[in-house]
Amino acid sequence: MLEVIDLARYFGGIKALDGVSLKVKKGSIVGLIGPNGSGKTTLFNVVTGFYEPTRGEVWFNGERIDGLNPNEIYLKGLVRTFQIPRLFQSLSVLENVLVTPPHQIGESPLNALFKKKWANQEMNLARQAFNILKMLGLAPYTNIKVSDLSAAHIKLLETARGLMGGAKLLLLDEPTAGVAYTTARELFDFIVKLRDEKGLTFFIIEHRLEVLMDYVEYVYVLHNGKLLSEGKPDEVVEDKKVIEAYIGEG
Amino acid sequence: MLGFDVIGFLISWLTLFGTYAILSMSLNLEIGFTGMADFGKVAFYGIGAYLAATITAFTFLFVNGIKCPLHSVEAIVALKECASKNPALNVSIFVLCILITFIITGAIGYLISYPTLRVGPAFLGITVLSFGELLRIFMRHFEPTGGTKGLAGIPHPLAWIPDPRLRDGIYAAIVLVVMLLTYLLSEKIANSPFGRLMRTVRDDEIATLCLGKHVPRIKAAVFFLASGLAGIAGVLLAYYLGSVNPDMFVPAVTFNVWAMVIFGGMGNNKGALIGSAIITFVDRISFVVNLLFPQAIISPDYIRWMIVGLLILITLLFKPQGLMPETPIKTLALTAVAEESGGEENA
Repeated sequence: MLEVIDLARYFGGIKALDGVSLKVKKGSIVGLIGPNGSGKTTLFNVVTGFYEPTRGEVWFNGERIDGLNPNEIYLKGLVRTFQIPRLFQSLSVLENVLVTPPHQIGESPLNALFKKKWANQEMNLARQAFNILKMLGLAPYTNIKVSDLSAAHIKLLETARGLMGGAKLLLLDEPTAGVAYTTARELFDFIVKLRDEKGLTFFIIEHRLEVLMDYVEYVYVLHNGKLLSEGKPDEVVEDKKVIEAYIGEG
Repeated sequence: MLGFDVIGFLISWLTLFGTYAILSMSLNLEIGFTGMADFGKVAFYGIGAYLAATITAFTFLFVNGIKCPLHSVEAIVALKECASKNPALNVSIFVLCILITFIITGAIGYLISYPTLRVGPAFLGITVLSFGELLRIFMRHFEPTGGTKGLAGIPHPLAWIPDPRLRDGIYAAIVLVVMLLTYLLSEKIANSPFGRLMRTVRDDEIATLCLGKHVPRIKAAVFFLASGLAGIAGVLLAYYLGSVNPDMFVPAVTFNVWAMVIFGGMGNNKGALIGSAIITFVDRISFVVNLLFPQAIISPDYIRWMIVGLLILITLLFKPQGLMPETPIKTLALTAVAEESGGEENA
């Protein structure tokens, strides 16, 4: 579904990404791990069009998408969440989720004047949004302003928004950072459920390996902008190179 | 004896209130909901007023077969004579002017904003501010519309009503009706999915862009609408005063409207109404006081600005959100959610 070929991105002399190739199969849950500064977020940024690649190709659903604008890539169904969530602070939780679906009828200024035209769609989207919020345990906060939300809920909301946006492939950047252990597991249970029920694909950056490794089918390990290791979770955990990258050479 | 004409005062206040309320609601759409700092409101207000004055004066002279420059003394005399001859003409020109002005000022706003909406928000503010000033200076030197003298003797849409008190009263009512329509329009826009987008642009432009929304198009649409509405306020002003001149449209007018929006509450249409009601009231009162005590040591005319400044300071210190802070959007979404959760409980 997503294929990255020899992708590189330099910032001046710094090689944030240096020739990474990887594949994410449709309907899979793939993890991306690596020590701080290894280029994980840069990879997401390049894939979703926030940075142009210095070299290499990005393919999504058989289409080449490197060099497209972020909003064009988003509309193709490749949706990301941010490590530091970018939510609309003065809007309620529900509204934040409701903004995401593309091409809403009432979003055209002319149609906005005629409630009849968009009412139906709005009701349906609201129900859909509410169900997502319910699944993530955000239902009690539906009508609360985002600026009044706790950090963990903000993380969950960011994920809820990704789910609402007609995504086919979701890139989640540390979805459980700052979330309690049990909540984190619930979130991953939910991700598995979504994959099974809706056929979504997930590509997840995560530092909490103890949670991640129980859920993903395949893991890529980045280190200094290069692919260090890849494989099934138990293989990667045993990999000596990975252990060295994380805790230093022994 | 100090004669204080209460009804006359109310009529002039209500007319001014209606006009300024339209302006502040249009500014509220831009800065309150969408976060676009429009420091050139007065430009579109002025264009509206000038369009109405020019179109009306020209049509009246043309229909009555009088050939003289619009700003000449003969024209003013002739306009006075033919103003009340044909009520249908007065009213239809009034309606026509409102429609034409809305479209033209809206289009000008759209064109002005076009190059600036894609860059930082400060650029828009500076561009329209300087556009307004340049336009004012240009109009001072533009002979066909009378230069610094401007145009006068513009036939009132209700000039055929002989009693001036009744005429002004009905006109005030018309202004208030236009204000009400503007209010309903703004509320409708603000409480729609488009209104939600306006707020997301204000909260985080980049994030809105990332969601696949066309941010410049949203901003341009808001700017079109707001400029068009400001133009309509200008039309109402031109007919109320019966004359226009360039120096009516100084940047201070824009900042007065800003004061109303800040004072009333950004992102709340009712706030814009209350803000403009109070500040125009202060304005009218100080005008009356000025007439009553011409020899006051400090001219109430200057006190007016001090009062407005004081109001702003007090607002920002004690109620920075304004008198009426922004309220959540009342879209259908919450109803749907209420139904959904209600259904769950029953099941």
